Amino acid sequence: MNARRYKKSALVCTVAMLTAVGASSCAGSNSSAPGAAGAAGGATSLTIEGDAGNPALVENFNPMQPSSALHGVNLIYEPLEIVSPIDGTFTPFLASGYKFTDPKTLVFTIRQGVKWSDGKPFTAGDVLFTFNLLKKFPALDGNGVWQHMSAISATGTDVTITFKDPNVPFAAVIAQTPMLPEHVWSSVADPVKFTNTKPIGTGPFTLGTFAPTQYALQKNPSYWQANKIVPQQVLFPAQASNQNTNQLDVSSGKFDWAYNFLPNVKTTYVARDPQHNTYWFPPGGTIGLYLNLTKAPYNDVNFRTGISLSLDRTTIANKAVNGYLGQASMSGLILPNLNKWLDPTLANQGLVKQDAAAATAAFAKAGYTMQGGKLVGKDGKQASMSIVMPNNFSDWVAAATEVTNQLKSVGINATSDLPQYAQYSQQIQSGSFNAAMGGFGGTGTPYTDFNNALNSSFAAPVGTSTSNNFERFKSASVDSSLSQLASATDPAAQQVATSALQQEMYTQTPVVLLYYGGSWGLFSTKSFTGWPSASDPYTLPTNYNNALLTVLTHLKKS
Amino acid sequence: MTYLTRKVVLFVITLWAAITLNFALPRLMPGSPVDAALAKLGSSGIPVTNAERHAIEVQLGVPNTGLLSQYGSYLKNIATLNFGTSYSFPSETVAQTIGKALPWTLVLVGVSTIFAFVIGTLLGVYAGWRRGRSADSVVTLGSTLFAAFPPFWLGLLMLYVLAFKWNLFPLKGGYAPGVTPNLSPAFFLDAMSHSVLPGVTLVITALSGWVFGMRNNMINTLGEDYVTFAEANGLRTRTVALMYAARNALLPNVTAFGLSLGAIIGGSVLVEGVFSYPGLGNLLYVAVTNHDFPLMQALFLVITLSMLVAIFVVDLLYVRLDPRIRQ
Amino acid sequence: MTIATTGPPPLNPGDLAPTKVAKASSLPVSLLFVGRALRTLWSNRKARIGLVILAVVILIAVFAPVLAPYSPTSTNFQPYQSPDATNWFGTTGNGQDVFSQMLYGARISLFVGLAAGTLATLVAVTIGLVTGYRPGVIDEVLSFVTNLALVIPGLPLMIILAAYLSSRSVWTIVLVVSFTSWATGARVIRSQASTLRDREFITSAVFSGERLFRVVFREILPNMTSLVAASFFSAATAAVMAEASLEFLGLGNPNTVSWGTILYFAQQQNALLTGQWVLVFAPGLAIALLAVSFTLINFGVDALSNPRLREK
Repeated sequence: MNARRYKKSALVCTVAMLTAVGASSCAGSNSSAPGAAGAAGGATSLTIEGDAGNPALVENFNPMQPSSALHGVNLIYEPLEIVSPIDGTFTPFLASGYKFTDPKTLVFTIRQGVKWSDGKPFTAGDVLFTFNLLKKFPALDGNGVWQHMSAISATGTDVTITFKDPNVPFAAVIAQTPMLPEHVWSSVADPVKFTNTKPIGTGPFTLGTFAPTQYALQKNPSYWQANKIVPQQVLFPAQASNQNTNQLDVSSGKFDWAYNFLPNVKTTYVARDPQHNTYWFPPGGTIGLYLNLTKAPYNDVNFRTGISLSLDRTTIANKAVNGYLGQASMSGLILPNLNKWLDPTLANQGLVKQDAAAATAAFAKAGYTMQGGKLVGKDGKQASMSIVMPNNFSDWVAAATEVTNQLKSVGINATSDLPQYAQYSQQIQSGSFNAAMGGFGGTGTPYTDFNNALNSSFAAPVGTSTSNNFERFKSASVDSSLSQLASATDPAAQQVATSALQQEMYTQTPVVLLYYGGSWGLFSTKSFTGWPSASDPYTLPTNYNNALLTVLTHLKKS
Repeated sequence: MTYLTRKVVLFVITLWAAITLNFALPRLMPGSPVDAALAKLGSSGIPVTNAERHAIEVQLGVPNTGLLSQYGSYLKNIATLNFGTSYSFPSETVAQTIGKALPWTLVLVGVSTIFAFVIGTLLGVYAGWRRGRSADSVVTLGSTLFAAFPPFWLGLLMLYVLAFKWNLFPLKGGYAPGVTPNLSPAFFLDAMSHSVLPGVTLVITALSGWVFGMRNNMINTLGEDYVTFAEANGLRTRTVALMYAARNALLPNVTAFGLSLGAIIGGSVLVEGVFSYPGLGNLLYVAVTNHDFPLMQALFLVITLSMLVAIFVVDLLYVRLDPRIRQ
Repeated sequence: MTIATTGPPPLNPGDLAPTKVAKASSLPVSLLFVGRALRTLWSNRKARIGLVILAVVILIAVFAPVLAPYSPTSTNFQPYQSPDATNWFGTTGNGQDVFSQMLYGARISLFVGLAAGTLATLVAVTIGLVTGYRPGVIDEVLSFVTNLALVIPGLPLMIILAAYLSSRSVWTIVLVVSFTSWATGARVIRSQASTLRDREFITSAVFSGERLFRVVFREILPNMTSLVAASFFSAATAAVMAEASLEFLGLGNPNTVSWGTILYFAQQQNALLTGQWVLVFAPGLAIALLAVSFTLINFGVDALSNPRLREK
């Protein structure tokens, strides 16, 4: 009898618990819709898919730590100028203008009348302080500005920066450094570890509230172009550590602006609210097949040309990015973003079509002929290739699978190698790899794109680590074109040098460029319009860098 | 040596062995943690520059000291609860990161274990008592099937149907976004609603251990002489089953508890990931993908030690509950 | 009073042995043993279901090339398709046919289950016998190691080991899983071995001069076959689930086709978002059924050794 009562009471308890939980869950799921005043139609609140939570956000608004700072920092701090990642045009922010007095001297004119969010004025002294802070603490200098700068000084409203060597395109990197307030940061003991939880900036928003799962920014009423800023509040709910859940969230319409790859975007996103849901997937970078140029036969330009001509890049692009983006141009430029720099003498905009006959001829010049279905060299051995890439970059993996299939059909024994990112990185940086998938370009500035990939000064010997030019390309003519471009101040000279680089890219094939990697912008026009799109490509739809600032100054109420 | 002293000594030695094993394991890892940090930057396909790599190396401090001195400082750090700074969360110490996640896992795992124990035991008693009949088959086959469901798979299906399609439960997290954890009843209800789906997933897949343990105990006990004797004396089978058999069979089986807890902890690693639940399991997955030395080391240690402590406590309880052990 | 019969004459003592048994069995003892075991298992209803399921999975695995309509890895189909006439289970994000993948996937899942189960059981039997039969320092040390292995949570340890090992092959998973599943079996075998150690037939074998090896393998082990079998099937169940978990986390080899990798890609390509719930439901159910079959067979094995558990 006792046991029976125990059993009964245990059952009663369990049922009671479950009922309570059931009741709370109904209440809970209602209150869990994030930013209820946001995407659901709230007039003044903008909800942006936020940083990866992992799963809780760590409060860090230090703009000099781009890998740890929260994305909202881009709306709190501003740089001197913002450079469009699409075509490299400058938009003035804290500088009202800039010019090169000579290829080694850059002068910024500082904007007047700007105040920090605590009321103190923004001056040239802050600019000086910021750059000198980067010099004092190299860990903060993620873009390596002091590798090219030799001195900085200020007179009146002008800040003058001298370079060690002529490097006109580097102005883009210098101009995009966020400006820090001297009166706050001069008393910070260790700015490298400083998390800056009470950020003082010149930007359109200040920090409102912070919770581990969401932070909110409030509009800064004394912002120097406050009339251009429409949202009164910006919410950043944290992403889950589970990418699928994030996609489900985006698909449920929780955000005004999200950055996320969605398969079948027309069905999984647009169809859910056809009136308001839009997307724009412009090219953001190029994905290519890198060949280790220290190894034979990759050091033979004819072999590389043969590979390039053997590939059907359209199919590769389809497999990799499901038709969202297309084949990449072998000019090295992202098209149509950088159309203005495209060398018109390049055939078909640099797009290389699959051409079996031409490929065979190229391979023959390299000493490789088809024998019994195998591409065999002068030593009698079949050509083989192992392509390495991180196993979780799914579009790279899909592209490489197609590449290996296509190469097999021309008789090359091609295989994929799929380690984790760390091993992939080790292989490419040390130069021990055979072939590798990798990214190329995407900074919006042709000089930086080409320089990072082709400048022989980066081509460290095999065994010494390098991130740039890890394929170890060396060409005196390319180096000379690069330094010409670095010191060119007028557009005509810049075009000459850029065209020369495109020709080298096209004829030398240091990298076999395959397809464009996408920038996955997903928008809702329920509350705001003015998003970047194919008809108005003023920036890339990335919500994790200073494109945030650019977009927020373009938004209008819908 | 008394039973108690022996158990304590064993506990201490096992503790030391687990700590040392935990030190040895991460040292076998290939690859550089700096590259993992750069992976976050490089995931869009835009190449990482030399300048960025250098800055992160200066910031994250790649270890390059000898093995023995590492072990010495490792032990010292364990004693002072200093687990270093993680590469995934460089703004706070590992101890802080784990400290935030620990209560969530403790609650989820603890409550799930209790529910699994209660429900499983009740079902096991029922099945053992009604042995051979259809009720028994339903319970045993049902719990066998449930135990064979991969926990993450069950979680995914429940997430899809109950959270995404029918909107009955939240899609992710331990609580609603924008809320700071506090001790109010509203927060408590909110947290509960977020833990229903992961909790139910864990309970369903962990039931069978208890069901079968109890069922077998019941069957064995029902075959004992004193039960036959009681029946011969005129007591009804049902009375005997519940008053004598169930109570004797209810004695917590330490091994079964240890195995069940291990299964729930293991299951929680994947289930927390599926539901983005802010516990230790989720952190472990993040740490592994990031090749995050300090975080991984600390997490594995905390998880192993929690299990050790839990089993030790149950061991002590067992001494109190079973007089036969005390001699 | 005798009754007149026309029956056969009374047998002489020399005729006592019936002639039909004179011929010795030509089948080896082990095969007979297996046959007898299978028959006993078959008589147990639960084990019967398990054997049927296992047989079906084995047949699918063996005849996958015949049964599958397409190659599991060819990416020729339209990606993200729901089930239709061409692709009965739909296609993956890479354009692969899921039904063919399910059929071929049985191979790896079955292989890992059986291989890891065997390996774990071998280790468990060795350690269990050594510690159970020989009390002393070795016993203490190995028992301690076994208890330590029991206490350390399995899946977190597997995750960390798999993350460290640079090679990504099926054998990595088999090794990692075996490394974490031997302890339960070792403990059970140890206690049984130490019980048997004190029995008279063992003592008499030792006194009659049998060497250690023979005593352990010819006297003790045959008395523990049902325990060993139970241990094997438990380890196999754990292995199937563990393989699924490791593959799902991406710690396996994504180039292979197994039920776990189908789930991994379903997760990577968010099959739930695109409405392709079959990609999630089918492999998970298959894994569950395989694991269930091992557990059900284990019921039969349990019933063999514990008569009280036998169905009346």
